Amino acid sequence: MSSTSQKHKEFVAEPMGEKLVNALAGIGEVLGKRLEEKGFDKAYVVLGQFLVLKKDEELFRDWLKDTCGANVKQQGDCYGCLREWCDSFLLFQFVLCQRKTYQHGPFI
Amino acid sequence: MAALRNKSDQEIKDLLNEYGIKHGPLVDTTRPLYEKKLKEAMAKAKVPVTKPSPDRTFYREDQEEVTYVTYQTPVRSEGPSGDGKPYMRSRPEYSERDRVDDKPYSRSRPEYSERDRVDDKPYSRSRPEYSERDRVDDKPYSRSRPEYSERDRVDDKLYSRSRPEYSSGRPYVDEPHVYNTLSSSSYSKPTPVVKSGGGVVKKENTTSSGRLIPLWIQFLVFLILAGFLYFIFTNMESAESSPFNRIQ
Repeated sequence: MSSTSQKHKEFVAEPMGEKLVNALAGIGEVLGKRLEEKGFDKAYVVLGQFLVLKKDEELFRDWLKDTCGANVKQQGDCYGCLREWCDSFLLFQFVLCQRKTYQHGPFI
Repeated sequence: MAALRNKSDQEIKDLLNEYGIKHGPLVDTTRPLYEKKLKEAMAKAKVPVTKPSPDRTFYREDQEEVTYVTYQTPVRSEGPSGDGKPYMRSRPEYSERDRVDDKPYSRSRPEYSERDRVDDKPYSRSRPEYSERDRVDDKPYSRSRPEYSERDRVDDKLYSRSRPEYSSGRPYVDEPHVYNTLSSSSYSKPTPVVKSGGGVVKKENTTSSGRLIPLWIQFLVFLILAGFLYFIFTNMESAESSPFNRIQ
C-alpha cells in the first residue's frame, strides 16, 4: 500500500477540525450519507469510533462494513487514513493541552 | 441466538473473552458489532475448525517486529548520514525499505523509522532523527580520511559530478520528516549507477557524500581560522610589563 490518494494526503496533513465524513479517504458520497444517517456526521465522530475500537484494524473494518457497507478497499483506505492521522496528531494534541499551562514560557 | 440482544453488557463482554475475540469498550455503537461477532463465533464453534491463524499472525508480527529492530539500526545509522558508506550497501537497504513500504499499518509503533507515508509521525520520528544527525556530525572526520584519500586519487571531474549529489543531499537535510520519499529518490539515483559495476562503486563512494562544501575546503577554512587566531594571540600586546605603573 505504498500509494496514497490525494484525499488521504490532505486528510493526514492537518488536524481534522470540523471536517465532514466525506473528507475521510475511502468515504465518498454514498458511504458518507449512510454514515451520516447513522449519526456519524463529522469525521471526528468516526475517529471516536475508531478509538473506541482501540484502533484495531479488523474491528474497525468490520464496523465500517456493517455500518455503511464499505468494500475492502474503502475500509482499508479509511482505516489507513485514520491511523496515520492518529499517529501524527493524537499525541500532539495531548502535548498541546499540556503546553497551555506554560503560556508565559517555561522559564518564568 | 436472539438472546444476545437481551444480555447485559457484562455478559457480552464475558462471552467475547470466552471466544477470545479482541474487543474494546462496549458502547451502544460497538454493541451490534460485537453481537455479530459473537454470533459468528458461536456458529463456528459448532463446527470444529482449528483457527491457528490469529495466533500465527500475532507470532509473525512479533517475529517481524524483532527483525525490524535488527534491520533498522544499520539502516538508520547509515541512512541519514548521506556520505560515503551508505551507497555501498544501497541495494540491500533499498530492498529493506521496500519491505518497510509494504507493511506500514500493522506495526506503526515500533516503526519509528522511515516510512513512505508522506507526513507520518513527524514528531515521534524527528527526535531520533535529530539524534542521528548529531551522531553523523560526530563521525564525519573519522570517516572522512578514507574518503579524503579517495578524493585525492579521484580527479576533478568527480567534483563536478558530485554537485548533483549535493542537490539530492540538500533536501535530504532540510526536511527530516519527509524522509522516506526523498531517501527513496536519493537511493534510486545511485542504484542504477551501482549496478553498472564494482569498479564504479569506489567512485560512487566519493561522489555520493552529501556535503554541501567539499571537505578539503572545510579543512582549509578551519586551518586559516586557526592560524588567524594564533596570529592574533601571538601579536597581542605582551603583558610582560606589569600593568601596575609605579608612580614616581
